[in-house]
Amino acid sequence: MFVVNPLDIAVEIKGVSHSFEGALGQAGAELMALSTTDLAIRRGELLSLIGPSGCGKSTLLNMMGGLLTPTSGEVRVNGAIVTAPMPKTVSFVFQENALFPWNTILDNIVVALTFQNVPSGERLDVAHQALKAVGLSEFAQYYPDQLSGGMRQRAALARALSLKTDIILMDEPFAALDEQTRMVLGEDLSTLLNQTGKTIVLVTHSLGEAVFLSDRIAVISARPGRVLEVIEVGEPHPRHPEFVTSGKFAELRNRLYALLHDEIRQTLSTQAMGIPSAGLQSAAGSSRHD
Amino acid sequence: MSQVAFLAKAGHRNWVRCLFVAALLLLWECAARFWVDPMFLSPPSRVLGQMDALFARPGVLQAYGDLMAELLIAFVVSVVLGLLLGLAVGLAKSTRERMMPIVLLLYGTPQITILPIVMLAAGVGFGSKVIFGITHGVFPVLLSVASSLQKVRPIYHVSARAFGATPWQKFRYILLPCMLPSFFSSLRLSMIACLLGVLLAELFASTKGIGFFTRQFTDTFDPTSLFGLISVAVVLAIALNASLAWMQSRWVTRQWT
Amino acid sequence: MWQSNAAYQVGFVVLVFAAWFFATQWLAISPLLMPDPVNVIKRLAQLLQSLEWMDPFWVTASEVLSAFALSSVLGIALSFVLSRSLWVVKTFDPLLNGINAVPAILFFPLFALLFGLGPGSKIALGFTISFFPIVINTTAAFGRVESIHLKAATCMGASKWQLLRYVLLPSAIPMILSGLRMGLTLAFLSVLGGETIASFNGLGHQIAESSQAMDSELMYAWILFVIAVSFSLNTTLSLIERIGGRAP
Repeated sequence: MFVVNPLDIAVEIKGVSHSFEGALGQAGAELMALSTTDLAIRRGELLSLIGPSGCGKSTLLNMMGGLLTPTSGEVRVNGAIVTAPMPKTVSFVFQENALFPWNTILDNIVVALTFQNVPSGERLDVAHQALKAVGLSEFAQYYPDQLSGGMRQRAALARALSLKTDIILMDEPFAALDEQTRMVLGEDLSTLLNQTGKTIVLVTHSLGEAVFLSDRIAVISARPGRVLEVIEVGEPHPRHPEFVTSGKFAELRNRLYALLHDEIRQTLSTQAMGIPSAGLQSAAGSSRHD
Repeated sequence: MSQVAFLAKAGHRNWVRCLFVAALLLLWECAARFWVDPMFLSPPSRVLGQMDALFARPGVLQAYGDLMAELLIAFVVSVVLGLLLGLAVGLAKSTRERMMPIVLLLYGTPQITILPIVMLAAGVGFGSKVIFGITHGVFPVLLSVASSLQKVRPIYHVSARAFGATPWQKFRYILLPCMLPSFFSSLRLSMIACLLGVLLAELFASTKGIGFFTRQFTDTFDPTSLFGLISVAVVLAIALNASLAWMQSRWVTRQWT
Repeated sequence: MWQSNAAYQVGFVVLVFAAWFFATQWLAISPLLMPDPVNVIKRLAQLLQSLEWMDPFWVTASEVLSAFALSSVLGIALSFVLSRSLWVVKTFDPLLNGINAVPAILFFPLFALLFGLGPGSKIALGFTISFFPIVINTTAAFGRVESIHLKAATCMGASKWQLLRYVLLPSAIPMILSGLRMGLTLAFLSVLGGETIASFNGLGHQIAESSQAMDSELMYAWILFVIAVSFSLNTTLSLIERIGGRAP
């Protein structure tokens, strides 16, 4: 069983803040997405980022993955400052619909391996192994639109796993799924990750999911976000379904709720005034590439 | 089987379509024989009967050959040019924003107005017909390629960056598959547009092509030959369209948008 | 958004004129093919001032409007009748799409034979070319009414007439209007085409006539005029579509 060493830092975020130019029509107006944030993510742990909509958690995740450069502060992965995506170190699982619909799920993984410049002879084997690990071997020749949402996300996870990166960043991977599927996938994820010792950063809206899956939970305030608190869960992996009904789970969940409640209220009232949230736009729109 | 179910079967629908076309031909036959002055209208029976005489005329077969040749060359050039221009305009966001309005402006200009200029520049022969076919046929391909590149979902752009794809890899594995479905359907539209351009040029000024003969048959009040000439061209156009549509349905086996 | 689009377009037009101007000054191109743009503009101004443009313009306009009136009224009526039965729609759909693939300009010599070189042949051509797209679009528009809306309205007790007035028409209208817009544009282009190929008068004829008379300056002047007319038509239709889209 993998034991996390609190001194072995995989991702370090120091004094990071970020503002977007007025990309949304208001000339000169800046959108402060993230205010001065510090966070250290330990190697081998699963850390959740949770907070109200638009608080900057996706922005923070994108910065960890090199899709975005912070306007101030620095992000370090394995000690080196992040300036661009690091496909051999960090892989992503996005929300639904990130698989290419014109490829089978097997080909989707093969293409990702191609991008990573894995030698062509190995690609098929690695892809098959990854599908086997998530239990989708029989569906290798299926196209994403022929599969259910839960299976698609498992395929997306297989894709990320196949790249054999140390760090996996997941941006609300289960958000588009119904609660029952989420529960089951969460258990599967916990089992899988326990075996691999990878560092996972997970952005989520779901309090229960954060408590169930994480070693630690970073609570982000409303926009512009900063780290309010980091909660230790302290429960060994793999997590079992019984954990959900335990007193510890309820207590942690209640702590989260208490921290977040006011932040969520505040966000909802500003959202009604039409101030948009970033999310995918932060990764796609802020670079000058297409 | 109930009457409705009987009629609803696809094969039976084809019978109805054939009957409908036959009814139209019958209407044409009667109109030409009994109701309209024979100087203006010729019945299909006579048109068919004199078809071999029509093709025996010197130059008619050649005229069709020229038409097909002009069409084929214009089509191939249109597709290649449309693809290259579409890629040039569509691949980068900056060029899209600057060039698309100009492309749309050109597309919205009535090309028939510049036909005399094209004729002045390229003469009355083969060349001007091909050029006018190209100016018509290039737009469906160009617009389809540029537009489908524009519609590539942001998540795919992000994925390409996140997974470290090189520009060529991004094109080959992401942009190209996004582009292909609409590219194939634009081929059929391009063919129709090329045909339109070539025909317009032919009808405007022609010394030995289809346009020449239509003028001749119109001036000499020879509706039989005129109908014959046009019917063959119509059948050709329908056949071309149908074969391209068939090829499209065979190649594009999945719709993923 | 459209402001920057318009800016690029205007910029492009200016660029074309500048290139045209410098080409005539510096390159040895025959003035027959490319006359001095300054002279062309002067000739165009003359056309406008002398009201020489009015007669051909009204000829063309009347031909276009007649053709469009015929094709839109008959087209919508036929579409409505066809769309009453799904079986009919499915049967005739490929026939309609098939005939639509044939460039109807091929039939123009027939119309010229039947109706002569006057407005009749142009109206016939304009009608033929604009009729089928209107039918195809309108049939699709009528067919697309969500059955759920019809069901809901029927449950609430709507009569056949009320269904037509309050459910069918409002949901079909946007698509019908876009079909009509396409029809009008096609009618305009086909009438122009017919006039250029064979006609006694009209805008297209002016272009063809001045081309045959080797009067390039006049020809270019007419071409610019027709392009301006076409552009105004498109802009007006876009405006109507935008305003109409907002109305309830």
